[in-house]
Amino acid sequence: MKPENVIEVRDVRKHFKVYYDKGHMLRERVISFYRNKYERREVLKGISFDVKKSESVGLIGKNGCGKSTTLKLLTKILRPNGGTIETKGRVCSLIELGAGFHPDMSGRENIYINASIFGIKAKEVDRRLADIVRFSELEDYIDNPVRTYSSGMYMRLAFSVAINVDADILLIDEILAVGDSSFQTKCFNKLKSLKEAGTTIVIVSHSLGQIEKLCDRAIWIDKGEIRKEGPSRQICKEYLDNMETARLERAELEYRMQLEDEKKREEQRKEEEKRRNEEEKKAKAELSVRRQEEERKRREEEARHQEEAEREQRKREETKRRNASCREIATQCGPDARREGKGIVQFTEVKMLNEKGEECTKFCTGEDIFIKMKYISEQPGLKINFAIGITRSDWVFCYGTSCKYLLNGFLISQSKGEIVLKLKDIHLLKNTYYLDVRIQDEENEKYDNIFNIIEFKVLPVAKKDVGVLLIDTEWNVTK
Amino acid sequence: MIQRIKDIYEYRDMVFSLVKRELRGRYQKSVLGMLWTFLNPLCQIIVYTFVFSVIFENNMENYYIYLTVGMIPWTFFNEAVGQGAGSIVNNADMTKKIYFPREVLTIASVTSKFVNMLLSFVIVFLFIFISGIGVNPAALLWLIPVMIAEYLVALGFTLFFSAITVYLRDMEYIVGVLMMAWIWATPIMYTLDGRSEAVITLLKINPMTNIILAYHDILYYKVIPSIGALGIGLLVGFILLVIGEIVFIRLEGNFAEEL
Repeated sequence: MKPENVIEVRDVRKHFKVYYDKGHMLRERVISFYRNKYERREVLKGISFDVKKSESVGLIGKNGCGKSTTLKLLTKILRPNGGTIETKGRVCSLIELGAGFHPDMSGRENIYINASIFGIKAKEVDRRLADIVRFSELEDYIDNPVRTYSSGMYMRLAFSVAINVDADILLIDEILAVGDSSFQTKCFNKLKSLKEAGTTIVIVSHSLGQIEKLCDRAIWIDKGEIRKEGPSRQICKEYLDNMETARLERAELEYRMQLEDEKKREEQRKEEEKRRNEEEKKAKAELSVRRQEEERKRREEEARHQEEAEREQRKREETKRRNASCREIATQCGPDARREGKGIVQFTEVKMLNEKGEECTKFCTGEDIFIKMKYISEQPGLKINFAIGITRSDWVFCYGTSCKYLLNGFLISQSKGEIVLKLKDIHLLKNTYYLDVRIQDEENEKYDNIFNIIEFKVLPVAKKDVGVLLIDTEWNVTK
Repeated sequence: MIQRIKDIYEYRDMVFSLVKRELRGRYQKSVLGMLWTFLNPLCQIIVYTFVFSVIFENNMENYYIYLTVGMIPWTFFNEAVGQGAGSIVNNADMTKKIYFPREVLTIASVTSKFVNMLLSFVIVFLFIFISGIGVNPAALLWLIPVMIAEYLVALGFTLFFSAITVYLRDMEYIVGVLMMAWIWATPIMYTLDGRSEAVITLLKINPMTNIILAYHDILYYKVIPSIGALGIGLLVGFILLVIGEIVFIRLEGNFAEEL
């Protein structure tokens, strides 16, 4: 095990035997001893990943892809059929809340029972009791039997015990949806502070928002294999895109199936009509002409639908192509870059320069940053507006501005142009930041938006300034 | 194995709190509460005494003391094994969702029955004082190793049965039948005096025989039990525990999947 890792998973495989009709009864066991029919379902087909100390990792994927199984393997509830799992330090799992609660016993007594199931000594609970009760906000009810609690109170108590456990590794399975929204926020903030205090967190959730906010890294599991892993924001985005594509494909398929059904029905009707027409050929001649016309109209409509689907497909491909093109625009392009917009006006080059005019992605607090942007416009003469945004690596949006306010109006696009923005003696403190650049029209409609196009670092300065930004300060001794 | 025992020891607080939960939870809602701990064996003893001294006449002096002294420890064994067999299955939710050494559930189940027995011993001493036969303080000390031996035997069997019950739910009922027969294979309601050599040998295969005999020696006959028999009892208890644990470990890996 590498020293910086606290979890190492190597080529772990897991399959379940799914019995067609499983018998626990002796009779069934004896009868079907040699011919128990079962299906071997591969849930994990060899996954490997590491988690470093105090890192937080999100597992995402579709239902049944194996993420909860992975978590259960990490807690040692399940054993892998192949491969190894190593963990370092105390593992605590928030998979089941309120385990062992006895309805007739008081909240206080239940705290001890519940905590002991997590492997916590009574002495430790004594020490944490005040914290747990305070966190649950149940001070007035803590000595009442748990059966008198509302379900929300019950879950709050259970969650408070689980989250106040001192663990090195915290495994969480889809349980942040507890209580009312203010309690949820509280839990979320608690998790964040645990993370900052150095607890390693592995979380399974379908709420990608939570994962983006809480996790440094995301692992996307698909059909028992790791499909991709990386910065959580990027992976979540890709996962969403993929889900959307899958949904569209499915919708298209369903649409096509529907079309086919309609065609079949149509043919049946036609045949019927033919028969009827033959019978009443002459009398209904005019009618059949009209029917044919309708038929033609319907065909036209079908063709239009087809065209629309194709257009949709083209659009998606275009988006894909454009995301890839971020790298061509900016040589300093970060791994997270993502692009969207109508594309009538487009960036062709984005560069970050230092005071000497050299390309640079490392700056000190107080230096100037120049952002040089080149663009082309399919239609010259459009009103356009340039905007930039700076986001810190933990997704705090730090600063945004647009030239509309500085230049007192919109720019008129040329077929080709260049614009430079100077950020004067930046006040940002040490951290990693992302630059977003945008071209918008007068209604803030996107022409070309590129998020996270450049990742840059602000280096620490000699002064002992800490926090988000530098503030000019002056100390005066007045007495 | 040693790592496992360390693991279980780490979770000793869980054993305590589960025992507490079981004892508190069991009697809190009933009107007579804790009294049931005494009433249940008391009624049993009254019935058996009636049957064996009035219907089947016997000329044993203070027969009801003889019966009580054997019946209370047997009740512990019976409940521990009979109910402990389902200790894993009945806590399936916990077992499937949280990691802890699974033995803890079984140990807690047996221990809570053990505590019940200790409380029931109030009845034993009450009877002894009412009857006026008195106690031998020197012999009384030997109750401790006897109880330990019984605890080990009970835990060994319960570990074995509780692990098997996960895979074979019938086991709970089979254990019920087994316990019903077992009580007659143990000298609780009768003595070994005057039985043939073959029958005595047969009965001594039953690990509970030595233990119940030791209880009789200490409390009914007021003598120090045979040290050899007690040693064997402890040894057998220990061996049964090890066997039970080995079987448990072998089967434990798939608990979460089987439940």
